[in-house]
This record gives sequence, C-alpha cells and structure tokens, in this order.
Amino acid sequence: MAAAQQATVDTGKVKDLLAAHRAEMKRYLSHCMHCTLCAESCFLFMARDKDPRYMPSYKVLNSLGVLYRRRGRVERSFLEKIKKIVWRNCVLCRRCYCPVGVDIPRMIALARAVCRSQGVYPDFDEQGHQESWL
Amino acid sequence: MLGQLNPVLVLGCGGCTSICLAGGQREAEQLAADLREDYGNRGGQLEVNTYTIERQCNADFFADIDRLAGDYQAIVSTACGAGVQFVAERYPRLPVLPALNTDFVGFDKDVGWYEENCRTCGDCVLGETGGICPVTRCAKSLFNGPCGGTRADGTCEVDPDIPCAWFEIHKRLREQGRLELITRVRPAREWQNQIRRTVIQEPYRERYGK
Repeated sequence: MAAAQQATVDTGKVKDLLAAHRAEMKRYLSHCMHCTLCAESCFLFMARDKDPRYMPSYKVLNSLGVLYRRRGRVERSFLEKIKKIVWRNCVLCRRCYCPVGVDIPRMIALARAVCRSQGVYPDFDEQGHQESWL
Repeated sequence: MLGQLNPVLVLGCGGCTSICLAGGQREAEQLAADLREDYGNRGGQLEVNTYTIERQCNADFFADIDRLAGDYQAIVSTACGAGVQFVAERYPRLPVLPALNTDFVGFDKDVGWYEENCRTCGDCVLGETGGICPVTRCAKSLFNGPCGGTRADGTCEVDPDIPCAWFEIHKRLREQGRLELITRVRPAREWQNQIRRTVIQEPYRERYGK
C-alpha cells in the first residue's frame, strides 16, 4: 500500500475500467433526477442525522460521477478522497432504492474497482482500525 | 492442487475475508506473488493475475469477472466457503479452488483476533442463556447444562483453558437476576436434520414462487 500510495495513477487502466461500463453508467448518471428518495432508504444517512454526505446520490455523483466527468484523468489524492466516500460512507448493503431503477450499488462497486486498480483500498489492520472504517 | 492449470486468476474478496486480513486485495496479491515464486523455484512458470471484487457471494459484483474468467484455466478464490461455491456455480466449466479454509462465524476481538461465537444452528437460545451460545461455547453443545464436567474454577473438563459455557451462563443470568431461566428445560436439538437451509423473507416469497 505504501508504495502504491506514492505511485502515479495508471490513467489507461482507469479509462479501460470506465469504458467497459460506460453505456450502463452514463445511463444511470443521466437518469438521476436528484429526487433524494434513495436517501431515506440508506440507514447510514438516517443514522447520521440525515447528513447529506451520506445520501447515496451524493456518494455516486461525487465519486464515479467525477471519474466519468474527468474521463479518468485524476490524481491519486482524488482516489484517496473518494476512498472515504465509497468505503467509509457506504457499506454496500444494497438497500438503496431508486424509483427510476438506477443501480446505485453497482456504481459504488465500480468506483471501488477503479480505486482498487490503483492500489487504493482500505486497510483492516492496525492502521485501518485507527481510521475507523466500520 | 493447481497441477498443470495455467494461467490462473486469484480472485480476492472485498467482504468479510478482507476484514479478517485473510482474503482481501492485499492477501490475494501476496498469494499470487507466492505462487509465482513457488513455481519459479521449481523451474516452472505460472501466469497468475489478481482481481478483487467487493463480494463473492452476490451476482451483482461479478460483471468484471464475467469478462475475465474465459482467459484463465482456474480461479483461486480467497473468499469463505460460501463465496468459493458461488464462484464455482457461476463458472461451472472452470476449476475453482479455495485459497482459505473457512473456520467459523465469529466476531472481532481485536485487530487480527477473531473468535467463534455462532454455529448458525437455527435453534437460537441466546435469549435464555444470557447472550452466551452453548452450542458454540460448550464442548458438548448442550442445550441444557452444565454437565458434570465443570471444574471448581469454572473451566471445562475438556481443557482447563476453556471457560465452561454453562458456568458463564449461570454467572451472567445471576447478574441479570434471571437465574430461573437456567432451570427451564429446552428440547434437545434435532441434530440429525442437517439439510441445506434457505431463507426467503415473507414479502419476497411471491416473487420467487416459494
């Protein structure tokens, strides 16, 4: 992990991953009507005083949405930032409900896959426990 | 177990085995490196790649593996026993090998320390036993205890390092002022009826025709 943190981002790899799911994900991203119905089905959002940072739509738009908007051209610091969104702020329980059928968990999983492709993922050892991932 | 199977995909799991420091991305990559080195030391060459998905027990996370699986002769899964079976069922023509030996369902005592606390027996008595599972923690899995093998210091006759589960249950119930529960006779568990279990929540029964 330490070596991976210092390495530059392999943009080609990120782009390949985004391209493999582009049609489906673009559809999902464009179909989000910002209705916020997904929010109330998220137990983290409800358990954290409805903090908007825990809204499923916020989580995908600020992780995968930005990855597509920047066409995969991101810095490692950005991946480290969205690591907190897609792991700490989402447990991928798959309970989030979208009335127009946007598959939010799949989008979070893809954002995680992009992070993983660059060696960015949570530690569950001593350091990870200090970060309180769960 | 791999024999002549080459190339191989080591499939990491981002779920429970990741948290247990046994089968996450880091461990999958370490296993792949070890396999490469082992084959190299024996004069061979194993083409081995890794990929980690968020969970190996749910079809929704397999899109990338569906694209990759055809490139390999075998998958080594670092998931629990359930995950390995899920992968094997999804790719029935591909040998799927377990990288781990799944021990138990338990909880985190501390970093890197896990303890078995539930056998998922389907006959839960925790409400009457002070939240201590006699099926898991009693050497005889007694539903009605203690037996005659409790030592004076409250340990089990099987091993002086193991606390007697029923001694602990007695202590806990006494603290809670619910000691009368220990005198309640619970029917013996029907151990012979061990069949594969399925749970479908009530609102979903119609959907699955069950």
